[in-house]
Amino acid sequence: MAVSEGREERSRPTIWGIGVRQVVYMALGAALYGGLSYLTNILQLPATSNVSFRPGIVIPLFFGVVFGPWVGLFTGGVGNFLGDYISGYGVYWNWDVGNGIIGLIAGLALYFTWGRYYRVASIVTAEIFGVVGILVGLGFAAYSDIWVSKYNFAAATGNFVPAALSDLINGIILLPILLVAYNAATRRMGRG
Amino acid sequence: MLINFPYIDRDSPVHRLDTRAKFILLLAYGFAVAQTSNFWLMLGGFILAAYYYKQAHLKWSETKRAWYLIIALNVMIIFVNYFLSGGAVVQGVDLPRHQHVLYYLPFLGLKGHFPFIGPTPLLISVESITFMITQGLRNFSIALFAIPIPYTTNPSDIGIAFKRMGLPDKFAYAVDLSFRFLPTVARDFGTTLDAQRARGFEIDKLRGGIFTKIARLAPMVVPVVIGSIVGAEDIISAMELRCFGVGKRTWFTELHARRIDKIIITLSIAGFFAITLLNILGNYYATGFLHVLHVQGIPAFLAP
Repeated sequence: MAVSEGREERSRPTIWGIGVRQVVYMALGAALYGGLSYLTNILQLPATSNVSFRPGIVIPLFFGVVFGPWVGLFTGGVGNFLGDYISGYGVYWNWDVGNGIIGLIAGLALYFTWGRYYRVASIVTAEIFGVVGILVGLGFAAYSDIWVSKYNFAAATGNFVPAALSDLINGIILLPILLVAYNAATRRMGRG
Repeated sequence: MLINFPYIDRDSPVHRLDTRAKFILLLAYGFAVAQTSNFWLMLGGFILAAYYYKQAHLKWSETKRAWYLIIALNVMIIFVNYFLSGGAVVQGVDLPRHQHVLYYLPFLGLKGHFPFIGPTPLLISVESITFMITQGLRNFSIALFAIPIPYTTNPSDIGIAFKRMGLPDKFAYAVDLSFRFLPTVARDFGTTLDAQRARGFEIDKLRGGIFTKIARLAPMVVPVVIGSIVGAEDIISAMELRCFGVGKRTWFTELHARRIDKIIITLSIAGFFAITLLNILGNYYATGFLHVLHVQGIPAFLAP
């Protein structure tokens, strides 16, 4: 069983496949991200726009690198939607898409790590994909406001830089902690 | 710790609207107004949005928190955008060769030579003021369409609405499930926070620099995330036992679009395509009605 499971995991369709497990983790990740975003939305960064201090950014990163790009995309996109929804702020599609891109790109780490983070090299790989995801995702969200809200480039950069810095710091510090804790939990469950 | 959905169960025209109509209206309007900075079109859109918001019958006391944020955000966006652009804020519309200057605001700006910073007066013109007003109208009108959605839409209708708008079954069900997970997650956060507090962990008294403070958030974040993942195994097993995903899924709630919902959806999509077509044609016709989206529409007596 372990051998066939190992073979089954090492395939492209498995990385992009959506089964029952992925559906549940999508929903769970979105709820965690939305809930934590709601709780920390009161912590605002000094910037040109509404950018809050979000340790919850680690959640789309974690769910992406462990469960795949679809789970990461859903966790980031729907999670951000949920956070704004329950705060009563409404729906702002470009920031939802941007957060989804963060999780999607982080999920691409699965091509190199196969969802296993027992080695430092794998954790570093996850961090690199997380950093790229944050830069691309937040870049999309912030700079799309040039078209959506008619910002100029400097104002969009004024949105992007503090948001990216905050998310990078939160993600880089909390992601390895969460991955190590997840390893320990899966070993106890006998799934490691 | 509780997370309450902002949904208010009330009978209003917007409450009775199909969820799909609300989302399509918001998206179509947002994409349409992003293509123009014509003052009169934006004013028309703002009036329409204000009428829509009024039909939601929401009280100020119920939405004031969201509106405080939106107002502060939009005012900050507009003025910071003006200062960061050095007064050259107008974009996406035809500008006259010489703007109708009202005043030059003393300010500092970057220079290309030593000392690289110096006096750079900011232009205040009829065109820039019109553009800033148009920006405000745009942002507030989008907010007037966006804010009623969480207050007038039952969360259990969101998943089925996305399904009927074409999202695959599994994604739509995941949306539905995420709303159901929210109260559980919030309860877990509260329980974990209380348990950690009993062990001396105080989230509002984290010591150290920024990096240390973030690392010290781990005792709150990690147990909730890992505990939720472990707990999800039972849900996965239950769903697999019930053959989730094997066949086409039916939904407990069914959405039935009324005539008014279909009219709103049709008009929203048609309006978006009309604006898009007009925007494209405006690049080929330098004057006349077909070019209307590319001009600000300033009356002649203000800008002779």
